[in-house]
Amino acid sequence: MPWQVSLYAAAVLIPLAAFLVETLFLRRLRRRNATIATAAIAVSCALSAVGFVDYFLVEHRAAFSEPAHRVADPAEPPAWEASFDWVAVGTSMGGRALAIPLGIRIDGLAALMFLMVTTVALLVHVYSTCYMTDNARYPRFFAFLSLFCFSMLGLVASSNLLMIFMFWELVGICSYLLIGFWYEEKANADAATKAFVVNRVGDVGMLVGLGILWSALGTFDFQEIVDLLRDDAGALRPDAPIAYGLLTLAGLGIFAGCAGKSAQFPLHVWLPDAMAGPTPVSALIHAATMVAAGVYLVARFFPVFTPEVLNVVAYVGGATLLIGATTAAVQTDYKKVLAYSTISQLGFMTLALGVGGWSAGVFHLLTHAFFKALLFLGAGSVYHGVHTYEMASLGGLRRRMPITAGAMLVGVLAISGMPLFSGFYSKDAVLAAAITKVSAEPRHALLLVLPVLGAALTAFYMFRMWILVFAGEPRGFPDPHTARVIHARDEEHELAEEDAEHGVGAPQYELNPAARARESPALMTGPLLVLSALSVFSGWTVWLGLPIGTPVLERMIAHAAPAGAVDVHLAHWPAVATSLIVLAAGLLTAVSYYAPAGLPFAPGRRLDPARAAGRLGPLYVLFVNKWYFDDLYALVLVRPCLRLARACAGFDRRVVDALADGLARLVALFGRVGGWFDRLAVDGLVNGFATALYVAGDRARSIQTGRIRDYLMFLTLAVVGLFAGVYAWVR
Amino acid sequence: MNDELLLTSLWLVPLIGAGVVLLMPRGTERLMKYVATAFTAAAFALSLYALFVYAIDARAAIPLAERAASDGFLVIRHDWIPAFRIQYYLGLDGISVGLVAMTSLVSLLACVASWPIEKQVRGYYALFLLLAASVTGVFLALDLVLFYVFFEVLLLPMYFLIAVWGGEDREYAAIKFLLYTLLGSAFILVAILILFFWSPGDAAAGGFSAGTFDMMRLAEVAATTGYYGRWIQNWVFALFLVGFLVKLPSFPFHTWLPDAHVEAPTPISMILAAVLLKIGGYGLIRLAWPLAPLGALDWSYVVAAVGVFSILYGALAAMAQSDFKKLVAYSSVSHMGYVTLGMSAMNLAGGAGYYAYGVNGAMYMMLTHGVTSAAMFFLVGVVYDRSGTRDLDRLGGLNDVMPVYGAVSYVIFFGSMGLPGLCGFVAEVLVVLAAFHYSVAMGILAASAVVLTAGYVLWMIQRVFLGRNEAWRGLSDLSPREIVVAAPLVVLTVLMGVFPQPLVLSWLSPSVDRVVADVAAGTGQADARDEPPTVVTESR
Repeated sequence: MPWQVSLYAAAVLIPLAAFLVETLFLRRLRRRNATIATAAIAVSCALSAVGFVDYFLVEHRAAFSEPAHRVADPAEPPAWEASFDWVAVGTSMGGRALAIPLGIRIDGLAALMFLMVTTVALLVHVYSTCYMTDNARYPRFFAFLSLFCFSMLGLVASSNLLMIFMFWELVGICSYLLIGFWYEEKANADAATKAFVVNRVGDVGMLVGLGILWSALGTFDFQEIVDLLRDDAGALRPDAPIAYGLLTLAGLGIFAGCAGKSAQFPLHVWLPDAMAGPTPVSALIHAATMVAAGVYLVARFFPVFTPEVLNVVAYVGGATLLIGATTAAVQTDYKKVLAYSTISQLGFMTLALGVGGWSAGVFHLLTHAFFKALLFLGAGSVYHGVHTYEMASLGGLRRRMPITAGAMLVGVLAISGMPLFSGFYSKDAVLAAAITKVSAEPRHALLLVLPVLGAALTAFYMFRMWILVFAGEPRGFPDPHTARVIHARDEEHELAEEDAEHGVGAPQYELNPAARARESPALMTGPLLVLSALSVFSGWTVWLGLPIGTPVLERMIAHAAPAGAVDVHLAHWPAVATSLIVLAAGLLTAVSYYAPAGLPFAPGRRLDPARAAGRLGPLYVLFVNKWYFDDLYALVLVRPCLRLARACAGFDRRVVDALADGLARLVALFGRVGGWFDRLAVDGLVNGFATALYVAGDRARSIQTGRIRDYLMFLTLAVVGLFAGVYAWVR
Repeated sequence: MNDELLLTSLWLVPLIGAGVVLLMPRGTERLMKYVATAFTAAAFALSLYALFVYAIDARAAIPLAERAASDGFLVIRHDWIPAFRIQYYLGLDGISVGLVAMTSLVSLLACVASWPIEKQVRGYYALFLLLAASVTGVFLALDLVLFYVFFEVLLLPMYFLIAVWGGEDREYAAIKFLLYTLLGSAFILVAILILFFWSPGDAAAGGFSAGTFDMMRLAEVAATTGYYGRWIQNWVFALFLVGFLVKLPSFPFHTWLPDAHVEAPTPISMILAAVLLKIGGYGLIRLAWPLAPLGALDWSYVVAAVGVFSILYGALAAMAQSDFKKLVAYSSVSHMGYVTLGMSAMNLAGGAGYYAYGVNGAMYMMLTHGVTSAAMFFLVGVVYDRSGTRDLDRLGGLNDVMPVYGAVSYVIFFGSMGLPGLCGFVAEVLVVLAAFHYSVAMGILAASAVVLTAGYVLWMIQRVFLGRNEAWRGLSDLSPREIVVAAPLVVLTVLMGVFPQPLVLSWLSPSVDRVVADVAAGTGQADARDEPPTVVTESR
């Protein structure tokens, strides 16, 4: 076993150990849980940095050459791996020896993901020590975070599909626990349940994929599956031991799982509600890492997907990015803007993978992790200052919170695709992949239209958010009542209000919170600055970020790309041109609608957002109502399911049980008939005995009144009869 | 320890305990609790010892029948009623040793959970110990008549424990339980009698009759010959199937279960769910399949469909319940569907390896369900004791009031929900994987149950633990005695989910695999049914 495997195993298990300590000694440790959790993830981060350096700078230096000029070195080990059999039964049965292993497999993709996850997680831990400090469940929060880190790192390190599924569920339960962290409020508990159940819908698909692949191939191991399905050139083997249709079904199933976890249409509905959790959790789990796990699995299973599946992947990605972007554009709550923007960006990644742009999709996954974590932590910092998520009441925060405003601006520029910021390079790669696909197969033109439209909308809604929050002057709430209503939705004030009821200070309802906000402490702004730096540099090429050649990160990713991924660099310049145009379009629209008065682009009467909304008419209504997915699902899925459940329960009582009761009554009736017969045929003593024995059964429920002796007698008769009948029948 | 003594004392110790409790004078109720607990603890120690011996001794690899013939490791055999070739024949293999250990563990925990019961203490503990003794006997017996005797004896204490110490509608529930089980046992008895007496007189060598109640012998005959022919095997299988599906229970024979559970006192619910239901599964894996493999193969599609239907139906019915205990009861129906499905996923093409996953999964489900269901009923009892209600719509907010209780419940219910890392997942995934190899459609249906399971478990958690409810402010958290009951089950839930192979499958799966191999061999005898059997029964 290579030492790197032990290194990564330690990096996975240390957060688990931390979780166990934090949970078992919760009462003794109290707030020291935060230190333990942070230390654990810091160690994991350091270990994965060592692994990263060893992988890319020592063992795989070829990763840094341009993909086009790369000479494959067959002697190079593609991955470090080791595994043991977790379950091995039926091994002596003949046929294929089946076992379910657990194992670690670290290749270039895993090494990159590992470093990204641990880095973001570490920053979020540091940030949370301050952000969550006033919370009563502070120790528990860090215990959950440790469990999450273990699960997420285990997911990345997994060497096989079943193991991915196991960690998949574990991250799901962490997400459940953290979304419902303020579980006193029914809405939060609902959101948690919804997130888990919707994810489980995807998991059904995943189980279908698992089951089909396992029953056909007898293994869960990624490498073995790929080797069984594809030859060295990446073409599907004609003698693959699985029918093409089944392979497609399995691929669709696995993608359904990915769609659940990565909030892809039509399973995206849980992610906006997941914002009910604390904001650092939204940054870590529901933006940077866990929701990217689905995309990660699509990347892992890229060689298993048939072309039909990849087309489905691409179109689902396209639909997702459009739904996410259009909904984000009309939100009034800045955390919700970010939530829908996450959905939209995940759509970008999925689309990129679907059109074959493997490196592009993964590249966007990694850059997005940094700038979206930055944006969410920035949003948390804003919330920390103003205790509201309503953009309408904010404005002018750039003066009161300069660091947060600057960091958020970096995030906005990165996600909108401004040159020199990381998002530019990754979005450019995504567009290039789409252009490559569409120029080869023009009938899929929609797969280019959607990301272009989405990119323009991204620039629009992100600048809209930044302007509304940070530019202009503080607007405040129109009246104290609105302030109170809006504050009442906030989780921390919820608790504050409860304290107030018990006489611990009165809740503060700021009428104009933005005017009195203060910059957050260094423990919160520090991570923002680090993430800002990462959001800029992670996309750079060796030429100081100039768009010459391939970005360094993308080269490393391309090194891990499977056979069959398209080379997107032919379409590089058209993509750059397109992304600059859409950036300008989105930016100008946002500025001309929302720029504060006094600026050259300040909106006139003709550019009033409300009027624009009116002109959009039904479309606007559609967007504001989140495309009515929640209502649709309630109508066609949730309610019918509950109705079916009630029908089953009713059927159980009224039909199945009634049948059983009826049978028992019939037996009792026979008993009574026998009783009468006895009475009429036999005299005195026997008669009296029979009366006592049988007639007593007349009262109340007949089943309850029958005597056991009766039943025993009839059962004996039944046994004899049954036996005789069977005997005669088979004779 | 002498194996004869060990095997006999496994069921005799609780029985002696019952006698001792009966002889104790009035006024020593407190002492009776401790005496009963001591006896169940002794039985638990013995079964743990047996499990330990079985797990480490190399002789465990030898099939039971051969052990009976040779050195007698963990098996004893004596004539009991020689005229009918009925034997006192007990033995342990991987399948039974785990169930015996679980029976004695749950009995011990349920006994501790019984301490608050104040009504007719002597009778309660006497019946309780009688129940523990007879259930252990069921798992130990390798003679069909002995098995049947234990099987019938346990009905008596169970009936009275529900009918006397139960809730409001206890008599109805008790008699319902009794009637259903008696009905099931009638079927089983007929199957046993057919196995003993059936003789195709026209066969060449002057007829063939097994003429034995020896399970191991019959299984061997079934595996190596096409004895009786396909037709009779179909009958035998169907009779056993109905008999044990009643006990399991599976749709459509399950309606006694919710009533029995709701009315039974908490400790009896624990035993009922964790142990009594397992007799159904044990009967399937020990009798129905090995003694009639051809019948099992012919019926497999129907049985698998019943299993899948039970899984979905139980989960849906659980979702609609507003009584906490009923919800858990229906979840048992759903989980036992996995046992049926795993047993019947008989696609033997390309070796029985995949089928072995199904049967191992079924056995694993029995053990994990034993752990989680005992714990779930205990937890329901805890909240009922404190709040006096089991109405899910009236509960709520318990997480804040009883944090330890909440944490324990989360682990247990997530384990039951099949969360990876906890015990239920292993069982479910093994069964579902086998189901996919059997039929993709069945696999998809079984897999889709995970949504329903998550639905009813999380919705229940939300209604019981989350939210706010002023009514329950001030309820006390778990007492030390309650923690003692819950802790072993929580630990097992975690350990069985993380280390299935070393902890359970290492001693369980060789025996299960042997049954699978025998069943597979037995189904290979389809063509031999018209020939006279080559193996004639030995006469003892």
